[in-house]
Amino acid sequence: MTHAATGHDAATGHSVAAVATHTAGHHAQARRPGTLTVLRWEVAKLAAHARARYLLLGCLIVPPVIVAVFTGQQPPSDTIYGRHIHESGLADALLILAFAHQWLLPLLASLVAGDIFANEDGHGTWKTILTRSASRGQIFAAKTLTAAGFNLLALLVLAASTIAGSLLIVGTQPLPGLSGQLIPAGTALPLVAAAWATAIAPLLGFTALALLLSVLSRNPTAGVAAPVVLGFAMQLLSTLGGLDLARRLLLTTGFEAWHGLFTQQRFTGPIVQAGAVAAGWAVGCLLIGYLALRRRDVIGG
Amino acid sequence: MSDVLAVNAVDLTKTFGPLTAVDHISLQVAQGEVYGVLGPNGAGKTTVLRMLFGLIRPDSGVLEVFGRSWPRDGVRTLDGVAGFIESPKLYPGLSGRRNLQLLAGLDGLDGATATRRVDEVLDAVDLLGRDREKVRGYSFGMRQRLGVAAALLRAPRLLVLDEPANGLDPAGIRDMRALVKRLAGSGMTVLLSSHDMAEVEQICDDVTIMRTGQVVYHGSIAGLRDRAPAPAHRLTTTDDDRAAALAGARGLEAEPAAGGLAVRGDEKALDAFIADLVGAGIGLRGLAMSETPLEALFFMLTERAPTASAASAASAAPTASTGPVAPTASTAPAADQARHAVTSGARR
Repeated sequence: MTHAATGHDAATGHSVAAVATHTAGHHAQARRPGTLTVLRWEVAKLAAHARARYLLLGCLIVPPVIVAVFTGQQPPSDTIYGRHIHESGLADALLILAFAHQWLLPLLASLVAGDIFANEDGHGTWKTILTRSASRGQIFAAKTLTAAGFNLLALLVLAASTIAGSLLIVGTQPLPGLSGQLIPAGTALPLVAAAWATAIAPLLGFTALALLLSVLSRNPTAGVAAPVVLGFAMQLLSTLGGLDLARRLLLTTGFEAWHGLFTQQRFTGPIVQAGAVAAGWAVGCLLIGYLALRRRDVIGG
Repeated sequence: MSDVLAVNAVDLTKTFGPLTAVDHISLQVAQGEVYGVLGPNGAGKTTVLRMLFGLIRPDSGVLEVFGRSWPRDGVRTLDGVAGFIESPKLYPGLSGRRNLQLLAGLDGLDGATATRRVDEVLDAVDLLGRDREKVRGYSFGMRQRLGVAAALLRAPRLLVLDEPANGLDPAGIRDMRALVKRLAGSGMTVLLSSHDMAEVEQICDDVTIMRTGQVVYHGSIAGLRDRAPAPAHRLTTTDDDRAAALAGARGLEAEPAAGGLAVRGDEKALDAFIADLVGAGIGLRGLAMSETPLEALFFMLTERAPTASAASAASAAPTASTGPVAPTASTAPAADQARHAVTSGARR
């Protein structure tokens, strides 16, 4: 500090006064960052986050391990596609998808999204980033896009690893359909990929929910855990009778929309409905989250 | 340099539930000025600075920075403004350099320009050798310096520092003060918040003193010095009771204090009193100034019930624009008068 305080050696470094008065030229070059620049800032921060890297690594490694474990086990015959896992690798991919719906996808959605706003509260860094040249709206957009992009990437890695691992370990036999028909492997493979793709809409819905809870709770643990708990609660609610309309509006219902792809007469209505429901959740959660962040008084830190 | 005020706050109020953190505060800071906002913890200084940065929205009042205001101009209000509130906070898992690079991105700097600027500010605060270490391993003083570097990155025209020496060791405090002086010497406008009178006295030209959300003094340090009461001294004697009586006879205020007597009065009377002690055969074991005159005035304004001297100081304020005001119920109208006068008369 003494070095700086005493003004610095002019021959070797920058004096405080010189740096401080380096204003005119600097102001000419500096500009307000675009939202893309703020997005790059958020992505760079996430890339430096070990948790994000481990999460992607887990999505890559864990599915083949699970498939390998399944091959030596009694099939879980009470679960959709459970009894077919030794007959076709594609059945393994669908069984893992069905398991993932239970808690893995809500957890995947919230691990980054539930932390991305609350993390700034945890580090007390809101006052650092909100006193620069980016607006709250830009920061909200950057964090939202980063979380959504990361979750889509994680889903892609998880799906690709699951399908590839299943085919490599179990094989590419034809897939039994849900109506008892046999679907040739060449037809079934794109259907399995499409089934995984139907998880995108509810995953993004859960991402928006996690983002909202991250903004409101200001607590990383609550931001990550609460969407998972809410996911369980939605699943419990969907098992109750007489709640057909409510069941359709639950985010978790959309995770089952792929079933219609594997019946004799394919139906895609649930997929469209899941997309609409997820969009409704996403818009509602993001709007409330944005307004909450915009109106918030940043007191702590 | 234009005559637009660096900071123009008029009648700012902010409440948090039942607590009025800032109560109709007005203050004006001219460009190039080194301005102090002084007050004990909880006085509302940090709330004012947070409002300046747009972190908190005032309930009422106007706040302009270089002529821009948050409701009208949004984040453009911060063009040319930098600093930190309380202690600077950065990402602990990233290196000091990486933190600055990320912040440079948020300021619209990129590529070679950002790298050069980061090098300059790291060099200026003497962190170049430690810039690749993670911030979680930095000492408190290093974090403060990194916070200053993060502020300098914006090449600000207005530097806002909230208690910059807080938590530093004595050497760190000395160096931080020297750094702030140098920055001020570069022509930059500096708004410094502190609870340390000595710090503000050394660095600032003008000062606003706050207590429980209200302004109790606004004016120059020189003006404050003129109104300061006599310094307080702490005495240790072999017979404090007799010493107190002798002090009273010389017109000094004397009261028991930890380990001796606290004596307040003008220095000639104090000299005579010391001679009296010697003459009376009372042993003098210790004599030290316990409060500088400005510290005494600061405490008087921010803590104590108004005394005769404080009241006279308040009434002695010759102009409407400056002067101390004891913010008690009995003097509240005077406080209001002073505040409103500040609003109307303190533009430079």
